[in-house]
Amino acid sequence: MSELRADLSRRRFLSGLAFTSGAVATGLGSWVIRPDWANAAEGPIKLGIATDLTGPIGYAGNADANTAKMVVKQLNDAGGLLGRPIELFVEDTASNESVAVGNVRKLIQRDKVDMVLGGITSSMRNAIKDPIVARGKTLYIYPQLYEGKECTPYLFCTGPTPAQQCDEFIPWLIKNGGKRFALPSANYVWPHVLNEYARKVIEASGGEVVFEEYYPLDQVDFSATVNRIVSNKVDVVFNTVIPPGVGPFFKQLYEAGFQKNGGRLACVYYDENTLNINQAVEIEGLASCLDYFKVLTKDDPVSAKIQAAYEKDYPGNFLFAAGSAATGTYRGLMLWAAAVKEAGKVDREAVAAALDHAKIAEGPGGPAEMVPGKRHCKMKMYTAIAKGGNYEIVARSEGLVDPKECCAAARRGMARMERSRQAHG
Amino acid sequence: MASSLVAGFEILSFAAIIVLVVLGLGIIASMMGIFNFAQGEFVLLGAYITYLAASRGMPVWVGMAAAPFLVGGFGFILEALIIRRFYAAPIVAMLGTYALSLIIREIVRGLIGGLYLSVPEPIGGSIDFGSVHISAWRLVIVVVTVGVMIGCYLLLARTSFGLRVRATLENPALARASGISTPAIYGATFAFGAALAGLAGALVVPVFSLFADLGIRFLIQGFVAVMVGGVGSFMGPVAGASVIGTMSAALPWIMAPVIADVLVFVLAIVFIKFRPQGLLSGKGV
Amino acid sequence: MAESGVAGLAPATGLIASRWRVLPIVELGVLATAVVLPLGLPDYLTVFATRVAILALFAISFDLVWGYAGIMSFGQALFFGAAGYGVALLGRDLNVSAALLLLPAGLLIGFTFALLLGGFLLLGRHPTSMIFVALGTMTGSYAADRLARGWYYLGGQNGIPSIPPMTLGAYEFGEGAVFYYVVVALLVISYLVCRFLVRSQFGLALAGLRENETRIAFFGYKVQHLKAIVFAIGGAIAGLAGSLYAVHEGFVWPNMLGVVISTQVVLYVLFGGSGTLIGAVIGTVIIEGVSFWLSDNYREIWPIILGVLLLLVILFRPLGLISFVLSERERVGSFGAKIGRRSHGAS
Repeated sequence: MSELRADLSRRRFLSGLAFTSGAVATGLGSWVIRPDWANAAEGPIKLGIATDLTGPIGYAGNADANTAKMVVKQLNDAGGLLGRPIELFVEDTASNESVAVGNVRKLIQRDKVDMVLGGITSSMRNAIKDPIVARGKTLYIYPQLYEGKECTPYLFCTGPTPAQQCDEFIPWLIKNGGKRFALPSANYVWPHVLNEYARKVIEASGGEVVFEEYYPLDQVDFSATVNRIVSNKVDVVFNTVIPPGVGPFFKQLYEAGFQKNGGRLACVYYDENTLNINQAVEIEGLASCLDYFKVLTKDDPVSAKIQAAYEKDYPGNFLFAAGSAATGTYRGLMLWAAAVKEAGKVDREAVAAALDHAKIAEGPGGPAEMVPGKRHCKMKMYTAIAKGGNYEIVARSEGLVDPKECCAAARRGMARMERSRQAHG
Repeated sequence: MASSLVAGFEILSFAAIIVLVVLGLGIIASMMGIFNFAQGEFVLLGAYITYLAASRGMPVWVGMAAAPFLVGGFGFILEALIIRRFYAAPIVAMLGTYALSLIIREIVRGLIGGLYLSVPEPIGGSIDFGSVHISAWRLVIVVVTVGVMIGCYLLLARTSFGLRVRATLENPALARASGISTPAIYGATFAFGAALAGLAGALVVPVFSLFADLGIRFLIQGFVAVMVGGVGSFMGPVAGASVIGTMSAALPWIMAPVIADVLVFVLAIVFIKFRPQGLLSGKGV
Repeated sequence: MAESGVAGLAPATGLIASRWRVLPIVELGVLATAVVLPLGLPDYLTVFATRVAILALFAISFDLVWGYAGIMSFGQALFFGAAGYGVALLGRDLNVSAALLLLPAGLLIGFTFALLLGGFLLLGRHPTSMIFVALGTMTGSYAADRLARGWYYLGGQNGIPSIPPMTLGAYEFGEGAVFYYVVVALLVISYLVCRFLVRSQFGLALAGLRENETRIAFFGYKVQHLKAIVFAIGGAIAGLAGSLYAVHEGFVWPNMLGVVISTQVVLYVLFGGSGTLIGAVIGTVIIEGVSFWLSDNYREIWPIILGVLLLLVILFRPLGLISFVLSERERVGSFGAKIGRRSHGAS
C-alpha cells in the first residue's frame, strides 16, 4: 500500500489523463466515449454520467465513472442495446452544486442524452434533479445510498435506503455493541432524515438514543463530542459525520479509549475507499451495512467476475465499492439496459414504464429488482466489520431486502407531478 | 473533575494550534503591514511536505523537521520576487497574495487529487492519568508551540538580529539610514513567518489530515485573531490567537457548534470595531 | 487614496483628443454583442450567457463600491446570497414566483443588509481603516456562510433546491433567450443608473474621496456617510443579481454567501479594470468564458492558470485589462455639465 502511495503524485496526474485515453475530448464538450461502430439507421443511444470527478467526493465519483465505462463497454461488446451502440457522455459535477448544474445542462441541452445517471451526495442530487427531470424531461437514475423520501417521478434510486441499511443492522448492533446509542452527524439532509428513521428502529429494538448532534461539515475538532460519548457511557456510535470531519473524529474517539472500553463504531457509508482515511487500528471493529463488500468475491462468482473486470481495466486508487455508489451505478445501468430491451425504444415514458419493474439476476452482491410503483430497488444487504484494514462479513440478509420507500407518498407524488406537468407543459 | 481537566486540555491544545498558525501571519502583518492571504497555503505546504516524506517511507518526523525550512526558503524566494512589490499598497497585497494562494492551492490539489489523505503521527496514542485520557500528540503540539513562542520572544528581545528587526519595525527609514539592510530584514521576516506556518502545517496534519482546502480553514480565523490581538507587536497576534482559539474550542461545549462558530466571528468584529487597536497595541515586542 | 496605491501606477495620460472617446465605443460594442449573441448561439450556450450576464451585474455592484468609493468589500456575496435565499424562501414557503415581487425583494434585501453591515463597519466616531472594512466584510460573508450551512431551515449544507421559475402573470421565465434579454435589460438599466450616479455631483465627491479622503473631509463632506450610501446601493444591485441567479439556476446554497464567491467578483473586476463599470462586465465575461471553455480540457490546470494570470495583472497591469484601451483620464471621467472640451473635475 505504501508503494502505491509513493507513486500517488505522479499517478494522479496520469490517471486524469488515463481516464481520457479511451475518450475523445471534443471541443467544448467533456468526455465522450464513442463506440467503434454505429448503427447507420438510428445512431447511438446516448447515456450521460454526471458525477464528482474532482473535489472531496472525487474518490467516489471516479469509481462510478470507471464503472460506467466498464458496463458500457461490456454492453457494446455484446452488441449494444436494440442493435444500437451506447455513446457515453461524462460530466464532472466537481463536488460543487453550481458547477454541476451548468455541466448537467450540457448533457441535456447540448448532448441530448437519453438518460442521466449520477449524483452522489444528496445535495448534489437535489441540485441536478431539476435540470434533468423537470426542465430537461429526461430519465434520472441515482445510484448512491441515501436518506430516502425521494419520490420524484422519472427519478429511480438504485442505492440502499435507510430501511435496507438499518432494519437488520441496528438489532445486530444492539446485540453486538450495546443499547446506548449516540448519533453524531454532519449537518445536512442525509444525516437528519436517516437519524429520524434510525431512531425509530433503535427504540423499537430496545435501545435508547443518548444524544443526537449536528456539526458543520468541515469541523475537525470533536473533543466536546468525544467527551460526551465517553462520559455518557455510550455503547454504539452510529456515525453520520462525513469527510473531512470523519477522519479526525474517529482518531479522537480512538485516542479517548472508546474501543478499548468496549464501544462499537458504526457507519453505514464506510466502504473500501474510506478505509484509507484512518489508520487501521483507529477503526478496528467498525461495523458497516452495505449491498456489497469486496470480500464477497471469495464465495460469490458473479461478484468476483465484476470485481476482477473492474480491477483489470481500472487498477489504482478508485476502488469498486458500495459506499461510493459504484455498485449502485452498475446495478442502475444493468437495470436500465434490461428496461430498454423490454421497451424496445429509448423514449422516457416507455423506458420508465419498463424500468418500474425491471430485474437483474446478476449483480454485485446478488440480484436486484425494482419495486413496482416505488422506483426503488430490492437488493441483498451485508453487515461487515473492519479488521486489520479489511472487511469481514458477519451477517447477511436472508434474501432481497425491501427498500420500503414512497408508500403513501407515491400517490401524493404522482398528483404533484401531474400538476407540475400541466403547468410546465 | 476528570472531564473538566480533559476539557481544559482540549481547549488549550486547540488554542495552541491556532496560535502556531497565526503567529506567522501576525509577524508578517506587524512587520510589513500586509495581510498575507497565502499564509494558509504555507500551512498547506508544510502539511504536504510532511505527507510526501511519510509516503516515501521516511519517518514522519523527518518531514516535520524539514517542512519549516523548505517552506521558509520558499517564502524567502516569493518575497524577493513578488511580495516586495506590494509593500506600498496593503489592499493590492491582499489581492496579490490571494492570487498566489490560488496558484499554490490548486497545484497541491492537482498533486493529491482532491482526496483526504491521512498522515500518522510520530508519537501516537494517549497518555492516561487514571480516567483522564490526553492525546499524546496534542500534548506535543502544545509543548512545541510554547517552545516556539519562547524562542521567538528571546530572538526578538535578546539577540542583535532581533534588535535590528525591531528597529526596522519601528522606523524603517531610520533603520535604513543606520545601515540596516531593510530588504534583507523584510525577506528574513517573511521567510520566518512562512516557516512558522510550515511548521504549523506539519504538526497539525496528523490531526486534520491532508486536503487541498486545509489552508482556507485557518485563514479567516487567522486574520480575525491578528486584528483582535493588535497589529504591530509580537505578543499582539499571540494574544489574539489565544483568545480566538480558546473561544472557538470552548464555546461548542456549551452551545450548538453552529452557533458557536458564528458567534466567535461576530464577537471578534464587534470587539475590533470598538477597539480598533486590538488587545495589545504598540510596536516592538 | 494612498492606500489604493494603484493610481500611481497608471500609464501616462494626456488630453489626446482621439483617445477621449474610447469608453462609449467599448460600451456600445459590448452592448451590441450582448444583443445579437442569442441569435448565433445554441440554446444551452444562451443559458450560459444568461448566467454570465447575472454575474456581470454582480460585478458592477462591486465595481461601484470599490472603483468609485474605494471600499474594498470582500463580502459582496453576502448580499448576493442573502437575496438569493430570500427569493428561495419566498418561493418555498409562500409560493411567490411573480417577477414584480421577487426582483424588488432582491433589491430590498441587498440594500438592507448592506446598509446594516456598511453602517456598522463604516460609521462611528473614528473613521475606520480600509483593512478593517475589508476584513469586516469578509468576516460577514464567512459568518453568513457558516450560519446558512448550519441552519436546517435554510437547508443547511444542501441549500434550497427546486426554486420555481419566475413568472410574469401567466408567463413563466424558463431558461433561454427571453430570460437572457430580461437580464441584459436589467444589466443595462443598472449600468446606466450607476453611470448617472458616478457622473453626478455625488460622483464628484466620490472621486475626490478616492483621491484624498482627508482633504474631502476637510471640505465638509461627510465621508463615512457617502461611503455608506454607496455601499448600500452596491448591496442593492448585488441583491438584484442574487435574486436573478436564484430563479435562473433554480437553487441556492451556502457557497453563494461565502468568501469564495466574494473574492471571485473581486477578481472579475480586478481583471477587467476597476472604476469603469464596463471593465467589470468585460472581466466577468472573459474569466467565465475562458473558465467554461478550458474547464473540460484543462480541468486541473485551469485554476492555476487563472491564478497566474491574475497575479500578472496585479503586478503589471493593476488597472486591469481595460487600461490597454482606456486612458486614466477617461477612466476618471467628467462630472456634471461640460464646459467645452475640458471638464470640472477630478484628476
